[in-house]
Amino acid sequence: MRILLDKFSKSFGAVKVIEDMTLEIKDGEMLALLGPSGCGKSTTLFAICGIHKVTGGRIYFGDRDMTDLPSQERNVGVVFQSYALYPHMNVAENIAFPLRIRNLPGAEIKRLVDEMADLVHIGNLLDRRPAELSGGQQQRVALARALVRRPNVLLLDEPLANLDAKLRLEMRSEIRRIQLETGITAILVTHDQVEAMSMCDRIAIMNAGQIIQIATPKEMYRNPRTTFVAGFLGNPPIAFVEAEARDGMLAVKNADIRLPVPPDAVTPPDGTPVIIGIRPENLGPEGDAIIRGRVSFIETQGRENLYDIKLENGSVLRSIQRVRDDISLDDEVEWRVRSDRLFVFAENGERL
Amino acid sequence: MSASRDIVESGPARIGTRAAPARPRFAWLNSSKGLGLVLIMPALLLVIAFFLAPVILTGVFAFTNMSTATGITGGAYQISPGALRVLTDRYGMGELAERLGQPTYVVDEQGLAALAEMEIDQDIIDGLKRRLGETFSSRRDFERVIRDLPTRPNTRTVKRISDAFSRSLANARFASAGALMSAAEAIDPELTDDEKAALREATYTGWSWTTDNFRRLITSPQTMRILFNTIFFVAATLLIFNTGFAMLLAIATHYIPDRPAGIFRIIWFLPRISPAVIYVLLWKWLAWDTGFLSAFLDNFGIRPRNWMLDSAFNAWVFVILINGFVGASMGMLIFASAIKAIPQSLFHAASVDGAYRWQQIRHIILPHLKWPILFVTCYQTLSLLTSIEQTLLSTDGGPGGATEIWSLAIYHTALNNYAGNLQYGYGAAMALVLVVIGIVLSLLYLRLFNYRALIIKPRIEH
Amino acid sequence: MTGHLKTWPIILALSILSAPLVLMYAYLFIDTVTNSPPGSFIPNEFTLEHWAFLWHTPPGRPSIWRVTFNSLLFAASTSLLVIVVSSMAGYVLSRLNVPARGFFLAGVMVLHAFPAITLIVAIFLVLQMIGLYNTLIGVILVKAAIDMPLGIWLMKGFYDTVPWEIEMAGIQDGASRFTVWRKLVLPQVKPGIFALWLFAFLLGWSEFILPQVLAPSGDVQVLSVYLASLIADDNNFDMALFKSVGLFYIAPVLILFFVFQNYLMNIYGGGSKG
Ligand SMILES: Nc1ncnc2c1ncn2[C@@H]1O[C@H](COP(=O)(O)OP(=O)(O)OP(=O)(O)O)[C@@H](O)[C@H]1O
Ligand SMILES: [Mg+2]
Repeated sequence: MRILLDKFSKSFGAVKVIEDMTLEIKDGEMLALLGPSGCGKSTTLFAICGIHKVTGGRIYFGDRDMTDLPSQERNVGVVFQSYALYPHMNVAENIAFPLRIRNLPGAEIKRLVDEMADLVHIGNLLDRRPAELSGGQQQRVALARALVRRPNVLLLDEPLANLDAKLRLEMRSEIRRIQLETGITAILVTHDQVEAMSMCDRIAIMNAGQIIQIATPKEMYRNPRTTFVAGFLGNPPIAFVEAEARDGMLAVKNADIRLPVPPDAVTPPDGTPVIIGIRPENLGPEGDAIIRGRVSFIETQGRENLYDIKLENGSVLRSIQRVRDDISLDDEVEWRVRSDRLFVFAENGERL
Repeated sequence: MSASRDIVESGPARIGTRAAPARPRFAWLNSSKGLGLVLIMPALLLVIAFFLAPVILTGVFAFTNMSTATGITGGAYQISPGALRVLTDRYGMGELAERLGQPTYVVDEQGLAALAEMEIDQDIIDGLKRRLGETFSSRRDFERVIRDLPTRPNTRTVKRISDAFSRSLANARFASAGALMSAAEAIDPELTDDEKAALREATYTGWSWTTDNFRRLITSPQTMRILFNTIFFVAATLLIFNTGFAMLLAIATHYIPDRPAGIFRIIWFLPRISPAVIYVLLWKWLAWDTGFLSAFLDNFGIRPRNWMLDSAFNAWVFVILINGFVGASMGMLIFASAIKAIPQSLFHAASVDGAYRWQQIRHIILPHLKWPILFVTCYQTLSLLTSIEQTLLSTDGGPGGATEIWSLAIYHTALNNYAGNLQYGYGAAMALVLVVIGIVLSLLYLRLFNYRALIIKPRIEH
Repeated sequence: MTGHLKTWPIILALSILSAPLVLMYAYLFIDTVTNSPPGSFIPNEFTLEHWAFLWHTPPGRPSIWRVTFNSLLFAASTSLLVIVVSSMAGYVLSRLNVPARGFFLAGVMVLHAFPAITLIVAIFLVLQMIGLYNTLIGVILVKAAIDMPLGIWLMKGFYDTVPWEIEMAGIQDGASRFTVWRKLVLPQVKPGIFALWLFAFLLGWSEFILPQVLAPSGDVQVLSVYLASLIADDNNFDMALFKSVGLFYIAPVLILFFVFQNYLMNIYGGGSKG
């Protein structure tokens, strides 16, 4: 089901948390709400499921205006970060709870619970209490309970934050699998960009209560609209240097480095200060523009090394390359970048 | 995985088939407001009935002279000797009082009808009918008239006849002022309004409004004594036991291993969990003239006596001990958990410095107990001020009122005393003093412990 | 930190300080089943004669079983009333968005600190006026009302520890606020409710002044009042009898206290006054 937030705003007393946010989630799509802590992701989620009253704007599920309906009538499935399983019920009872509330007949409830338990692979745990389950298993139960009544939307608030690294990897694909199999519209709240990129069809990047950009993960990575987006996606992160437009080229401040304007950017008039973003994987032995600096740090990552190189003016760029033995700390290096992979931003952070 | 495939295939199409339940029958129970009001209602009713109303009523009763004598519901009007005395002394209407007090004989239809009932000779009735409306102020005069009737009834009949016409108001009781007035007017038709008002007030047996209670409270020397007793009791118990001794227990148990510490805490907790009646009984066993203390000291040649009541000094010692032992446990628990919360590193640092134990106590423990001490002092001041059970059961204010404290004085004035004359109004006035102190102090505590920090807005907003 | 200092002097000092208490409670047991020669406190014979009150009712006094039943009824009813009312009102204060919520919270705090016993004169008169004087119903209501503010305060504390997410999940699952409270939240605070019930039961069982003033006589006498009147009766002074009745009366308290002391210490230390 399509979800539409239309000019939605939310404030707590005098504190405006979200202002005039418009966001559409397509039917069957899984959207990631990605942003730093405190930017209003959970607030948005709570507004969609009706735990918060909105201060302004409308919320539609399909064509239906849900803004003033209580949570109980919105039929939204939510998986909380803490899973929020009912500790005094066993797994089967937990999953059955939404059906009980709907007064379904007992046999039907049993059938649906079993079906759901199979889907999330917990068929053998039905008699256990939540306290007797591992984090990943609790996660699955929470998912089953959210899905069993076929909700209009599935909301996931940092569902993986409490899991260890290995489980997180496993559940990432599990959740995606289940979402695809059920075809449900889903919103995933996270501040982990890897999670967002690997699980979702599209990503909405939020900052300070506003959506900065919505795009597919690939598009967003390749084509960030602002420095914030560019900085948020990518690990190791992008590096920025300040520069100035000069003679149709970009001259890095206080350094003897001149880079061409990438083909997709408009050439700024001379003297315009700009910010250049260079992703680590784009700085290396190949490319058409030269960058000189001194290796200031080497981080071994196994297959690859991450090199920090310090420019004349003190700013630091990062480069990720296969492990090379010919470079050591404090070496002067002369590397290159592909100018078509550069991002150029105006001083206010907007992409040029 | 057929089950899940089923979901996949029918997924989007079937979405909403198990949509939310229809609006429940009691939809208002689903809002915070509706459910909240329902759930809080019983508590609210209890508060209104047993806190709000009694606070107001204490104030109301304090302005009455209610007592066992006046009763607490309305009263009646009785022309008692006392009432007549009041009429004479206070209103200067001695004449009226005399008239009302005297037996009076009135020849009226009612009396004649009574004679007919008694099957008295018709001639006598006819004879008396002729004197209808006459009043006689003494029995002898009236009986002479009867005897002078032509039929000459015998002495016994004369008595019966005169009784039938007796219209005395002495000791008569009337349910309403109206009945009183019409009876009085039958005897003295020319009552002035002043006389009526005086009569009404003098004969009223119920309670009435007055500010005398407060005048009495302020002027009575007894008040000063009780006030002083109360202040002494609260201050001494609070200082010695509720904070001082409690702190001693908390610190001492902090420095010994957990097991014995636990045992001592349980021992010192016994006074609090024991019902007051038994707890005090145990003290009595210790203190009475055949009790443990007497028997023990007898060995040293000290005469057995009731240690609890033999002198004012001893009585105070016991009152403070008995109340203090109960009070110490609260402070003990609170201080002990405060000490436990002090970071261990502080203690280690101190012992490295070579600080001795008492220095630890002075420089580490005591500074950390500032707030708990304030808290305990606040709470216990009020509860000591109003505590009654232990003192009532041990000395009952004795000997000779030496340990009579305010709350106990209220009990003795209004609720229970040997004389059986309970002065509700005066007791309410005394209670009002404590009620006002209680309200002021509890509001003060609210400020002190800044309750605003406790109020977080509910996270579910509807 | 305490390692280099000996602890036995402290233990010794504490033992001496605690001796009177220990002595009193020890003799509460000893005296009920023994006789001692006059002037001595060393028992010389075992006897059950002091327990005769259990089957033999002295003239002019209600039967001990009647009185025990009254006490039980009194304590059970007040504690039940307290937990029902408090678990409802505590939830409102902890979780629900009601108008004037801050006012209610402040009210509970003030009531909790306020010494209700000062109202006893007014309550005494009101009960007489409405005909509930010397009835169990009357004192039960009064006692429950007086214990209630503490109960509400404690319950609010217990509810505060239940994660909001559980309630949010319940609402999303389609349950009404009432169902969420009844089916999802109440089960989480069961231990708290039990502790409060136990506490209120012991308070009710031990209560003396309220029944003494509001329901003192005959059919509605409770154990505390019965024992107090037994002791106050100057004609029959029998310490061993008083202690036997006393032990009979205090035994449930001690047993419950020793079994559940952790529950109780928390409540006593946390919020009760006295
Ligand atoms: N009940 C509230 N009252 C006042 N301010 C609130 C309330 N709830 C949230 N906020 C504020 O709203 C902002 C957004 O909060 P929100 O919980 O939506 O952040 P988030 O993006 O989910 O962060 P996180 O990743 O840490 O969960 C924060 O600055 C927070 O302080
Ligand atoms: Mg959040």
